[in-house]
Amino acid sequence: MINAVESVEKSTTGRLVGRSGVLRHGLLPLLLAAEIVFFSLASSTFLTTNNLSNVVINSSDLAVIAAGLTLVVLLGGIDVSTGSMLGVIAWVVATLSQHGTAPVLVIGAAVLAGAVLGSLNGGLIAFGRVSPIIATLGTSAIFSTLLFLLWNSTDVFAAPVSPLLGTGRVGGWPLVGVVVLAMFALLSYLSRQRAYGWHVYAIGNDREAARLLGVKTTRVVFVTYLVLGGCVGLAAVIYAGRVGVVQASSGSELTLSAVAAVVVGGTSILGGEGSVLKTLGGLLFVAVLQNGVVLIGVPPLWNGVLVGVAVALAVWLDIATRRGKGRRR
Amino acid sequence: MAAVLTARAVSKRFGATRALSEVDLRLAAGERLAVLGENGAGKSTLMKILAGVYPPDSGAMTLDGRPYRPGSPADALAAGVSIVYQEPSFFARLTVLENLFVGREPRAVGGGVHWRRMRSAAHDLFTTLEMPVDLLGLLMGELSLAEQQLVLIARAVDQDSKVLILDEPTSILTARETDRLFGLIDQLARRGVAILYITHRFDELKRVADRFVVLKDGQLAGELPAENADHDRIIELMTGRALERAEPTGRGGVSAPVLELDTLTAPGRYSDVSLTVGGGEIVGLYGLVGAGRTELALTVFGVLKPSRGRMRLGGRPYAPRSARHAMAQGVAYLPEDRKTQGIFPSLSVGSNLTAATLPRLTRRLGVLNTLKEDGLVGTWIRRLNIKVASATDDILSLSGGHQQKVLLARCLATDPKVLVLDEPTRGIDVGTKAELHRMIIDLARGGLAVLVISSELPELLALAERVYVLREGAVAAEFTQGAITEQAVLRATLGAS
Repeated sequence: MINAVESVEKSTTGRLVGRSGVLRHGLLPLLLAAEIVFFSLASSTFLTTNNLSNVVINSSDLAVIAAGLTLVVLLGGIDVSTGSMLGVIAWVVATLSQHGTAPVLVIGAAVLAGAVLGSLNGGLIAFGRVSPIIATLGTSAIFSTLLFLLWNSTDVFAAPVSPLLGTGRVGGWPLVGVVVLAMFALLSYLSRQRAYGWHVYAIGNDREAARLLGVKTTRVVFVTYLVLGGCVGLAAVIYAGRVGVVQASSGSELTLSAVAAVVVGGTSILGGEGSVLKTLGGLLFVAVLQNGVVLIGVPPLWNGVLVGVAVALAVWLDIATRRGKGRRR
Repeated sequence: MAAVLTARAVSKRFGATRALSEVDLRLAAGERLAVLGENGAGKSTLMKILAGVYPPDSGAMTLDGRPYRPGSPADALAAGVSIVYQEPSFFARLTVLENLFVGREPRAVGGGVHWRRMRSAAHDLFTTLEMPVDLLGLLMGELSLAEQQLVLIARAVDQDSKVLILDEPTSILTARETDRLFGLIDQLARRGVAILYITHRFDELKRVADRFVVLKDGQLAGELPAENADHDRIIELMTGRALERAEPTGRGGVSAPVLELDTLTAPGRYSDVSLTVGGGEIVGLYGLVGAGRTELALTVFGVLKPSRGRMRLGGRPYAPRSARHAMAQGVAYLPEDRKTQGIFPSLSVGSNLTAATLPRLTRRLGVLNTLKEDGLVGTWIRRLNIKVASATDDILSLSGGHQQKVLLARCLATDPKVLVLDEPTRGIDVGTKAELHRMIIDLARGGLAVLVISSELPELLALAERVYVLREGAVAAEFTQGAITEQAVLRATLGAS
């Protein structure tokens, strides 16, 4: 086993001091720190409790989507229908609230609706074997049209269904942050401490190998899209309360940002590598960026460019520094 | 001894193809049974039926005397039948520890994954198998092929299997690792595990098996105890005919060197390698896995850049910038891994064959001259005797040996001066292997300079006029025909004096 011992040494050094290792794991904290230093210097209001809690509130719906989307990406999948799915559910939430439905029922209905729409994606992808990008592009178009028809030229106004899912603060700090952290904790527990999460990682690495080991791959794929749908449902409740109005194209801006949070966080777009908690870092980067550029006076129009560039760079870095494929001998 | 696993009259069809018909098998506890057969003889189908991947169309199996009808690989595992596939399937971006336990995670109270128990179990397992415990924390994809294979076997071993199926496990292992594997198999057999072992390597038979069976065209062709493992007899059983041996002697003269390597060095891969290949000459490159053979071949083919040293092609300086550049100058390379580096699995035989020649088959504006392409494909199918109904058939409908012929034709269609063959007959049945050997010799007779990399010494002994032995990236010895003996080459390979 001289061979094995040698390569242990090689790969260990490769992991600890290799350029790619540093880039993969050290870059985001550095960028995040640089970003925060830059914006606090460039804007006097950036580092205030008020602004930071705005960052949390404004990104809370995005956060809940990104947490669920991480599981889908770990699986080797993608979902580009999250924004328009959220729009449809937000319309339902706002409409139910207007009719005075009890908050618990509104939340339940939203999560359930999300699970139903998510299982539509999951069904197409898991049972129908449609490629995830095509399936969710298709359902995204359907959801957008559905929202347009429901909207029917009438904006629906809404207030937060609960302070916990809205703009409520204690001592200046937003309560919704607790909900976001709880969701991340829950999905992180699912992905690392439950067999289900292991199977998600395994499928993202090699679906066929996982199947041969007795992993119920079809079911895991289906359930993961369903879970993401449930997350989108919860996010829709927060969104409706935060924005206060549901319009013809509500939510669509969240799709790309959610993907950005996941891939900037360091979860590989090719699946099988990354984690839910990493997405929290990516989310922070995206949320601070979106807030900071507004503070320093960049027109919000440029948001799309910044997020798009962040996604492209993150995926490029992932591919360029990829480990675990090269050293075949 | 009591039978652990039996199969009676097991048959399986795929469409019009009869993959297995009426196969009987009996495996006792602690018995080591080798299964031989040409590619397409039904070995893999039989293994997959035993491992629960496919159900048999008819026939019955028993495990420990009870009916055994696995509905899925997981069923088979739970019943005590585990398998390590020839194409290792694992999770490259999970750790070795995680790879060991996917699909059978130990649960803690409350249903969570019991990490602590898993770590200690893995630690014990690796200690028992004398594998380095440090491996557990590494990503599976960071290991060498051999280490990956050993991890997969460790996983199979750890499942309290009654039956362990190994599908050509040594085809990617070095000699030393092969020894370790055999030690492991002996250890398991002593503990009462029944081993079913698929191999193409005759030299392993006596070492690893008590008994062997030969499959041919989906039927049992014969069964012999390992002491009677006479090569020619086995080959007759496998092919249904006596093997014609390729005749290496009496070839035409060797002309001036066509390919010359002069003190070529790429740090960490190989160093100070000098060698020559003449026109009409077949030169062998032998060494352990990891000795730098493939890296050297990739350098000649322009994929890797040497940091020092020079190459000459046909007497002129040769410094290929890319594979494309190398091909343009008359170098062709047949890669060692047919599945991932060779074939385009979703394309036809014809498209696979012409993939390297397309620029020559186009009219103006890059429009493909399909008439010319069809002609070229037809010519090569005839010349290399490729068994295919039509050039438009899927490449995957061919057996491994014939896929390899298509890839060889792809190389030859570029009209090369130098042909580099990396493990040209790995995993290919003996009949097609002998045919390929004859073709390679004919090509050399036609004036081509051929460099053959092989892990099978008999192959190089049959083909090459000269053999270079690489050890840890350096040329350890050079043998010319007449002086090549198996012992001398192995001694140089292992560095024994």
